[in-house]
Amino acid sequence: MESASVTHAEHHGPPPAHRSSRVEPPVLGMVLFIISEIMIFGAFFTAYFFIRVVTHDPWPAPGTKIPEAATGINTAILLVSSLTIHWALVSIKRGNRFGLKAGMVLTFLLGLTFLFLQVNEYVHLGWAPRDSAQATIFYSLTGLHGAHVFVGLCALLMVTIRSFRGHYSPEHHQGMEVPGIYWHFVDGMWIVVYTALYVL
Amino acid sequence: MATTVAEHTTAVTTPARGRSRVPLPAKLRRGGWYRAALFDVLGLGFAVGITALLRFVNHQHPVIDGHAITTVALFSVPVFFLLGLGAFDYWLYWASGRPTRPETHEDHGAHSWRDYFRVNPDHKVIGIQYTVTSFFFLFVGGMLAMLIRAQLAKPGMNFLTPEEFNGVFSVHASLLIFVFVIPVFAGLANFVLPLMIGAPDMAFPRLNALSYWLLPIGGLMMLASFLAPGGSFATGWTAYAPLSTDMPIGQLFFSIGVQFAGFSSIFTALNFLVTIITMRAPGMSFFRLPLLVWANFATSLLVVIATPFIASSQFFILLDSALHFNFFNAFVGPHTNGNVLMYQHIFWFYSHPAVYIMMLPGFGIISEVIAVNARKPIFGYRMMAFSLIAIVVLGFTVWAHHMFVSGMQPWIRIPMMVTTAIISVPTGIKIFSWLATLWRGVLHMSTQMLFALGFITMFTLGGISGVMLAMVPFDIHVSQTYFIVAHIHYVLFGGSLFTIFAGVYHWFPKMTGRMLDERLGRLHFWSTFIFFNLTFGPMHYIGLLGMPRRVYSYSAQFAGWNLFISICSFFLGLTFLIFLWNIVASWRHGPRAAGNPWRALSLEWQVSSPPPIFNFETIPTVVGGPYEYGVPGAVHGVFKPPAEARRPSAVAVARE
Repeated sequence: MESASVTHAEHHGPPPAHRSSRVEPPVLGMVLFIISEIMIFGAFFTAYFFIRVVTHDPWPAPGTKIPEAATGINTAILLVSSLTIHWALVSIKRGNRFGLKAGMVLTFLLGLTFLFLQVNEYVHLGWAPRDSAQATIFYSLTGLHGAHVFVGLCALLMVTIRSFRGHYSPEHHQGMEVPGIYWHFVDGMWIVVYTALYVL
Repeated sequence: MATTVAEHTTAVTTPARGRSRVPLPAKLRRGGWYRAALFDVLGLGFAVGITALLRFVNHQHPVIDGHAITTVALFSVPVFFLLGLGAFDYWLYWASGRPTRPETHEDHGAHSWRDYFRVNPDHKVIGIQYTVTSFFFLFVGGMLAMLIRAQLAKPGMNFLTPEEFNGVFSVHASLLIFVFVIPVFAGLANFVLPLMIGAPDMAFPRLNALSYWLLPIGGLMMLASFLAPGGSFATGWTAYAPLSTDMPIGQLFFSIGVQFAGFSSIFTALNFLVTIITMRAPGMSFFRLPLLVWANFATSLLVVIATPFIASSQFFILLDSALHFNFFNAFVGPHTNGNVLMYQHIFWFYSHPAVYIMMLPGFGIISEVIAVNARKPIFGYRMMAFSLIAIVVLGFTVWAHHMFVSGMQPWIRIPMMVTTAIISVPTGIKIFSWLATLWRGVLHMSTQMLFALGFITMFTLGGISGVMLAMVPFDIHVSQTYFIVAHIHYVLFGGSLFTIFAGVYHWFPKMTGRMLDERLGRLHFWSTFIFFNLTFGPMHYIGLLGMPRRVYSYSAQFAGWNLFISICSFFLGLTFLIFLWNIVASWRHGPRAAGNPWRALSLEWQVSSPPPIFNFETIPTVVGGPYEYGVPGAVHGVFKPPAEARRPSAVAVARE
């Protein structure tokens, strides 16, 4: 007891919390946040379900076209970015700083390309969300996903900056692992969105 | 035990920070209210700039449009305010890759009232911020209820205009649901939960501070809707489409305010879950957790999973009304293939679990209060925990019972009726467990115990009318009547609010270090209990007779009962003043509270009142269950490392 209070007086902070789980708190927090995010997409997919299945509207709306092929290439770009961020993570675990930096820069650029191509698609589609319920849900789901890509890119930018400033090491790389989990979620969710809106 | 407690409860003294004289430019650079005010202006400028730019690019005239500016400003001004206040400072500093500052903990805790008005990462400060803020909104929401009852005192009254009346009851419901009942539970749990599980703080203290500061933004935004041109939102708290998509701009104050309140509760829930999973003291297995912790675990699961649905539903409203999307546009004009029922499905997929979000933490409070005041172990502890999880699971399967009269496919009614009847089983398990806990207990009739017993009776009544409403034929009969108003107030006022009062009376000594006045407390309970029943009891009856709800005026046959209800409701409003007086007077001059005035076992009572700044000097070790009242020598936790804290020595400590 005596020694405990002495160290406490020197430390002037809270006692270290007991760790009752092997899961890292930031990882668990990110997973729970992603569950929330999935439910946001779930609500948008409910709207999609009602418009396309319950109301039984033709898909896409008569007189409009959805560019599956061009966006297929864009999908591939986003999926490759998942691989590059994984490469960055594996690299830093092995102490390869070049791999970390190159992986992060590649991931960021691929994500930016995806976002740019999506905006480009919006500009050239030729129909607006106010035209029909199908257009509404098309723009809403892709827009919601685009917003997530944007947030993910902001996180990736910060990780990239920090990796160039010499942060992260084989032992401490949680700061890039957690945004990485989010980025994988953004990519995985795109496959669902792409399948529902473009392929089916 | 007593000596051990005394050793470990000496508060850590930190150097007092005087009110430093800082020149204004420095104040504007540092996080705080000055910078927040400056950033508010920037946020407004941002809204004007971005809308003007977009309208210019799209060739819309005039370029400056008040409606568009308000819509964007409702998002940008609060976010800029939070930036100015300093809610994001640490993260931005850290994320930009600058060398991190040493953790001095000097922003921890509150040394004067000013510390409650800044971004404070201490869970105890945040708990008090949350509780006081939400009681402020209870007070405002209660005042609005008085206005509603004044209008309804006589048929044909003109106390309010019909539009004002619609606005008043919409804001009443929204404030009390989104910025009182839900966050006040988060506030109480914020204070006691880390203490209960033996953690020095929450898992993410800065996220916790951010969650708090999002809350007043949401509440004030809903209140500010009264100032909007065209009046406040007037669609009820349900904001059914397409009614809400054709409303004046006040509606957006609800749609956007809910986003802030929703983010606040999602972040808090996430924080609770991570804290409970990763920061329990050694020996604190899941089946040694106090039931309040279990209840908040279950609630947090509901919040994380369900809240995104209301955020999305209000986003749809926003997109429909601000950008003319076609989610719900189903009746007039071209391209009318939206789906209106979809709104109700998405809305109730959140808002039914939300009633459990508003009730489960209360169940936890009642379990604590009853076990302590009956001096008996909780009957069927494990069933209490499992029934919470059962409610979480079943809570997602009953949403369409709010839509029996909505015109959805009739076959959906049957499974929803069945699941709704089934969900009363786990709730019933809890009621019977509490009754069995009381059975042959040594009942201490403290104020919190009175509220707990009042809760059990009132919530059982509300629950029974709930089972009645689950039955499709009965629901079709009374769905649009005052029977629903009676039911909702029996479960939310007699249910949730009574548990909140019980919780406040129970933990007030711990939170403030002062005792509340028991005589005023009893007066508060009995007056509230009597006038609550006189106000809402007759509503069952006039509802069955067919008095419609949501109406501005009504047929003369209900005049007598309505006058009676209105008079009783004013007295019910006055009873709140007793509570307010008790809180204010006791907080300032009440007798000092001992560390453990109720002789409770759980960990938060084993430290001083109010707790030391970092909760514990050393993390305690849990050696037994939390409710072993009446068991000789029973100890829940000891302030020793796990190796020394074997049970025999713990008993020896307790006997000292």
